[in-house]
Amino acid sequence: MKYTTFNREQFDATKEPMFFGKSVNVSRYDQQRYPIFEKLIEKQLSFFWRPEEVDLSMDRRDFMGLPEHEQHIFISNLKYQTLLDSIQGRSPNVAFLPLVSIPELETWIETWSFSETIHSRSYTHIIRNVLPQPAQIFDDIVVNEAIGKRATDITRYYDDLIASTNYYLQLGPGQHVINGQTISISLRDIKRKLYLTLVAVNVLEAIRFYVSFACSFAFAERAKMEGNAKIIKLIARDEALHLTGTQHMLQIMAAGDDDPEMAEIAKEVRPLAEKIFTDAAMQEKEWAGYLFRDGSMIGLNKDILSQYIEYITNQRMQAIGFSAAFETKQNPLPWMNSWLVSDNVQVAPQEAEISSYLVGAIDNEVDNSDFSDFDL
Amino acid sequence: MAKIIKIQDEFSFIPRSEHTILEALEAQNIATEYQCRQGFCGVCQVTLLDGEVDYIEDPIAFIGKGKILPCCCKTKTDITIELPYPAPPIGNESE
Repeated sequence: MKYTTFNREQFDATKEPMFFGKSVNVSRYDQQRYPIFEKLIEKQLSFFWRPEEVDLSMDRRDFMGLPEHEQHIFISNLKYQTLLDSIQGRSPNVAFLPLVSIPELETWIETWSFSETIHSRSYTHIIRNVLPQPAQIFDDIVVNEAIGKRATDITRYYDDLIASTNYYLQLGPGQHVINGQTISISLRDIKRKLYLTLVAVNVLEAIRFYVSFACSFAFAERAKMEGNAKIIKLIARDEALHLTGTQHMLQIMAAGDDDPEMAEIAKEVRPLAEKIFTDAAMQEKEWAGYLFRDGSMIGLNKDILSQYIEYITNQRMQAIGFSAAFETKQNPLPWMNSWLVSDNVQVAPQEAEISSYLVGAIDNEVDNSDFSDFDL
Repeated sequence: MAKIIKIQDEFSFIPRSEHTILEALEAQNIATEYQCRQGFCGVCQVTLLDGEVDYIEDPIAFIGKGKILPCCCKTKTDITIELPYPAPPIGNESE
């Protein structure tokens, strides 16, 4: 299999597996093997929003009034989310597109990645509006130890898959000596890496984001940082859709009709996949400790947040057919649901800074000629 | 004819015809998990033990075997469902 941007072979794409079949040629959606990806694309497009629609001027004032330890919580979460979306804005494209073999999934991956870039842009919008020195925040993301520790765990599955895919596409399967190092490349091993990467991505979208979401909504429950919460609500709606996307991929793989070898792999790596979930839950609990190191916030502390992490980890594991890893059975933050509900996210024009609504509303250029037909 | 929703080993009730199953459960003060309420997140999934449902919009979330998404379906026949967790009632009333 060598990657080509337009495969000249004639074949029926509806007979191809999701990944590792023939390279995609015509981006056609009149016939689809998995129409669900088309539905996901349509839903995602219908969600389109821009961060500038949300006014953050009140948030600036709110932020100034927050005690220092709460500012730390707010800023740290933003940093972490910026990292997560920086990864998600590019990695699905780089890692999955060379391997994908059906057009509807290819387009879903692109649509999905694109929406993550909107999230990245909204963090800049928030940070620029709330803080006097945005650069300090962004510069710290790369050097911050608490963030860096988790970044490695998130990216290594992607990086591993991308490296192997490159070798595979260039050299094919077998033993290769590269720069004096022997590297063995097999299709089965890359499939294994792909499966694990999808699990790690599912964990990122299904669990890691929710710690930040909980904090943002906890602020908004106290009528603080409400503009931020409005944006996070839009992001949470997108993420819920993305995680449905990875859940579908994982379930299709596990079912085996798509690629029987993938189903074997899914079974084989199940313990490892479960560990990705539980490790992430542990890391997120540690992160909760870092967030609340100087003090808790009203309505949220390390214990409650840890319980919530366990609760949501269970739920996400069960959604892809795994068994729950933790004892926690009840949602310790029931008010989260009303913030995560997405049938009421639309913002009314008069409540938001919609660019088309403002253009031409005020004319700042006034000179003598404007008074030429004016008599006293 | 009015359809009955039965919760396994608990009690039965007749939902209002305009309610989705999720809304019907909420109207009975049965706390159910939900997120999107539009059929794409899959959080509200419950097990359908008996009966059939009609989807009012095509769900996008992955729905496991034997499960239904109560946020976007209504009863077609009498149904029996099993909640994922022993859900506590929202209010204190109606035992």
